[in-house]
Amino acid sequence: MSRIGVFVCWCGENIARTVDIAKVVESVAEIPGVRCAMNYKYMCADPGQAMIREKIASEKLDGVVVASCSPHMHMKTFRRAAAAAGLNPYRLEMANIREHCSWVHADKEEATRKASDIIRLAVAKVGYDHALNPIKVPVTRRAMVIGGGVAGIQAALDVAEAGYEVVLVEREPSIGGKMAGLSETFPTLDCSQCILTPRMVEAGQHPRIKLYTYSEVESVEGFIGNFEVTVRKKARYVDIDKCTGCGECSKVCPLKKNLSEFDYGMGMRPAIYMPFPQAVPARPVIDKTQCAKIIRNGCGLCEKKCAPGAINFKDEDQLVKEKVGAIVVATGYKLYSIGKKQESEKITGYGEYGYGKYKDVIDSLQFERIVSASGPTNGEIKRPSDGKTPEKVVFIACVGSRDNAKGLNYCSKICCMYTAKHTMLYKHKVHHGEASVFYMDIRSGGKNYDEFVRRAIEKDGAKYYRGRVSKITEENGKLIVRGADTLAGVPVTIEADMVVLAAAMRPADGIEELAQKLNVGYDENGFLMESHPKLRPVETNTAGVFVCGACQAPKDIPEAVAQASAAASKVMVTFAANELTREPEIAVINEQTCAACYACVRTCPYHAIEKVELRARNGTLIKYAARVNQGLCMGCGTCVSVCPSKSADIEGFTEEEIYSMVEALA
Amino acid sequence: MSETNGFEPKIVAYVCNWCTYLGADLAGTSRLEYPSNVRIIRLPCTGRIDANLVVKAFEIGADAVLVSGCHPGDCHYNAGNYHARRRWILFRELMETIGFDMRRLHFSWISAAEGKKFQQVITEITEKTIALGPYNPYGAEPRVEPLSPMPQAAAGACDPAAELELRTAAKRVLESGQANVVIGYGARGPVFITRPDDVDRLVWNANCHQNLATYLKRKEIRALGKAAIVMKGCDERALIILERESQIARPDLHVIGMACNGMGQPKCAACDTRETRFADEKISSAQPPADMPDRYVAVDQILAMEPADRMAFFTAEFDRCLKCYACRQVCPMCYCERCIADKNRPQAIDTSPHRQGNFAWHIARAMHLAGRCVGCDECTRACPAGIDLRLLNLTLARTAEQQFAYRAGMDPALDPLIGTFSLQDKEEFIR
Repeated sequence: MSRIGVFVCWCGENIARTVDIAKVVESVAEIPGVRCAMNYKYMCADPGQAMIREKIASEKLDGVVVASCSPHMHMKTFRRAAAAAGLNPYRLEMANIREHCSWVHADKEEATRKASDIIRLAVAKVGYDHALNPIKVPVTRRAMVIGGGVAGIQAALDVAEAGYEVVLVEREPSIGGKMAGLSETFPTLDCSQCILTPRMVEAGQHPRIKLYTYSEVESVEGFIGNFEVTVRKKARYVDIDKCTGCGECSKVCPLKKNLSEFDYGMGMRPAIYMPFPQAVPARPVIDKTQCAKIIRNGCGLCEKKCAPGAINFKDEDQLVKEKVGAIVVATGYKLYSIGKKQESEKITGYGEYGYGKYKDVIDSLQFERIVSASGPTNGEIKRPSDGKTPEKVVFIACVGSRDNAKGLNYCSKICCMYTAKHTMLYKHKVHHGEASVFYMDIRSGGKNYDEFVRRAIEKDGAKYYRGRVSKITEENGKLIVRGADTLAGVPVTIEADMVVLAAAMRPADGIEELAQKLNVGYDENGFLMESHPKLRPVETNTAGVFVCGACQAPKDIPEAVAQASAAASKVMVTFAANELTREPEIAVINEQTCAACYACVRTCPYHAIEKVELRARNGTLIKYAARVNQGLCMGCGTCVSVCPSKSADIEGFTEEEIYSMVEALA
Repeated sequence: MSETNGFEPKIVAYVCNWCTYLGADLAGTSRLEYPSNVRIIRLPCTGRIDANLVVKAFEIGADAVLVSGCHPGDCHYNAGNYHARRRWILFRELMETIGFDMRRLHFSWISAAEGKKFQQVITEITEKTIALGPYNPYGAEPRVEPLSPMPQAAAGACDPAAELELRTAAKRVLESGQANVVIGYGARGPVFITRPDDVDRLVWNANCHQNLATYLKRKEIRALGKAAIVMKGCDERALIILERESQIARPDLHVIGMACNGMGQPKCAACDTRETRFADEKISSAQPPADMPDRYVAVDQILAMEPADRMAFFTAEFDRCLKCYACRQVCPMCYCERCIADKNRPQAIDTSPHRQGNFAWHIARAMHLAGRCVGCDECTRACPAGIDLRLLNLTLARTAEQQFAYRAGMDPALDPLIGTFSLQDKEEFIR
């Protein structure tokens, strides 16, 4: 027979007003197994808790029911009190007679009856409660950051500065990401490279940061505290340890007319190249699709020229394994491809803007390179077709963004700001030029943001037209932009020299594959899902995997950096102890009765169930079974529902507990 | 209260911890009054709420049951509610066929912000239940409804050459050591041939309707080592499921596929798997029938009755159940080492052959077979009490096909029906 104590709270008048406490106490005292039934005005107050502690000791209680408010309110409080008195905290249950009873029923008799029933259920449950202990999971205190843009660099540096090792994986030959290619940044117009490159160098030289550039995540195994990530180091054909970064190889390479990825096709680079002068690591890479030596065993000039002998044409992809305890995803964004070719059927392009057809219709990142001091034109604004200075430039906002007809319904958030910036940068360099903007709305929320847009309009004289552009055609070397000014209610036609399209922000290529490797959710647009939009904004539903930057949603640099630091701090919380402590209310599987149908393995939203072989001491196979990974299980119980033999169960909500509650209602 | 005529309905609400429970909390904090008849049972997630719990609630005398959780997309555990929704769709169809009063079974999504909705839902359910009066599904007067006989297919002619070919194949398989035992049909039931000299005991005739896959799960058969098995096209579907559920290793099994022109069973009338598709060797050939009747005509016949009549019919059927578990024993899909019916802590299914336990057993069995039953009808044939168990399996097979374009064991590449979900799963029954 169990020795259960029931403690009925008045909650001042909150419960006592509609529930006849005396009657309730009297009726629950008669439930078999109830050793004592007490009541007090405020159970959560010190004297109330003291009463619980005292009774646990004096009556040798092995189970406690506190009948008061919602368990979401005070379960922790009372479980702590129970633990202090030496009772396993998971042998305490709450009966919610306030939110679910006294506050919603006026009739005293009905409320009293219901309160007794609610307590009866809790008493039935507590009789079957197991004594549980928190689960300890060992932690590898080492993090991986995937993506070396500004967010990834920030996260890596923060974690490294806190004293932990970081593995930073970047797909491109250099870290720096999109920001490294920007000209100046809003709302201060400070030079992007001036801010970023010192941080890149810091990350590259940090004793606790291990850098894998030109590398991608191949596979991820394990769980929080215990991930094993396989990284594919793509063949670079240059030994970055031997290479000194002198650049002689690029000079002698005869194949110099390759479109530069870093300049988004606005400039050229050799087949062996450093993406940009400030690259980290400052080491070149050979494009194997272009190099004559690799394609047809020709040329080889760079190899001959390279004094340290760093060129290795026989280089191959390498797979390396890294053990880490937490992963930060910061894979960033790309621009929506404006033309006809799209990544999925539901997204369509803007054929009417002639992007890809007219050389002087470019996207915003291409404009950044043209206007950048380190860009292909050294910062002089020259249009791609003939190198002339454009006298009239039209900027079109929301190309792809907020356009259901094109398949993307979200706002890319930063385009209003950078378009205003573009007009300013243009006007600062071409004083007599005319900058016109077609926009849908101006969204400039942020510190000094709206002031910035006003400055573009009022001080730098950018012409803003609220309306869309319907078509762009080319006539006599001019781009005829036909749009509307909906505020004035008139059509507007501008003969422009160049058009800049503010294309929507899309998550970077391969995000869905990566998300699947990490078991992280993504939305219909491919942006990674945070665990909770407000309260867990950088966590994902896979414990130990965090997100920051534009892979989660469109955002600007300050936000990406803030989020990166948030993700880093979550990594530090994970690493705060040698062991992680997890709630023990998770699934358990009776391996003896498990039929190994693995319905649970397929169903588990967290991939927390593994297939195991049970073997005798001499190694012979006894049977197959399913086993719960305690580091991953979140305790939803979906496995229990699909388990035909009910070999799976959830601690804290066991079959016995649930059925005892239902049967208590009979 | 006067309007209740003294009737205080018992309403059991299974709610998830994160949305509906908090929604009820919010109703409390907002002091939104509602009738006091509901008794809330808190579970971590709707994903945890299975059919057995709902049945149990009716067993203890609930007049109505509410199952409620997070809205699609809001699940605290990502997808528990989606998994739940798919199971509920199947469960509801099953209960509908059996003749449960569906006005007593409620599903809703109530978020933590919807205290108002919680109040409304509880109020409406209570009022509706009061209007309906007390409920005891197990109190129905059993009544045998004459069902028109299932369309029987004429037994197709069996190719006599096929029998010879089968024996030759079996001999070869045994002699070459490809298998230690050939599981096949004998003159009076299944035979397990282990010696090449015994292959003449194998027969192939119009009585070979049994699905032999069920023997693959037996320990004594497994102990014989590598097996070869005689399979018809319809039986083969069971192998696909068993492989999917890791119960057999298909490379270790040699399948001798027999083309079949029908064995004169009800299942044969609408059979479109007359030849095996994945057998290691195929014997003879067969054509599907020219005009294929509706596979689910028996379900339509049941559904044509009023719910109360259906309940009376199934009460009469289940009342005959002896709990001998022949249906379980013969089913190729029932391979658990310990059946839920034999689990007594807690006793989800009453073991004595009484009405409530019989209902609980047959509902649980049907739910376990959802998306897995390949329609071999062995359970119906094996039942000594002659319970038409096929009707339950057919109901869920029909739902699977109509709502999810899923037929058990047809497409080996398809994910199982239960344990997967689609965001498009219908939810018009959930408020």
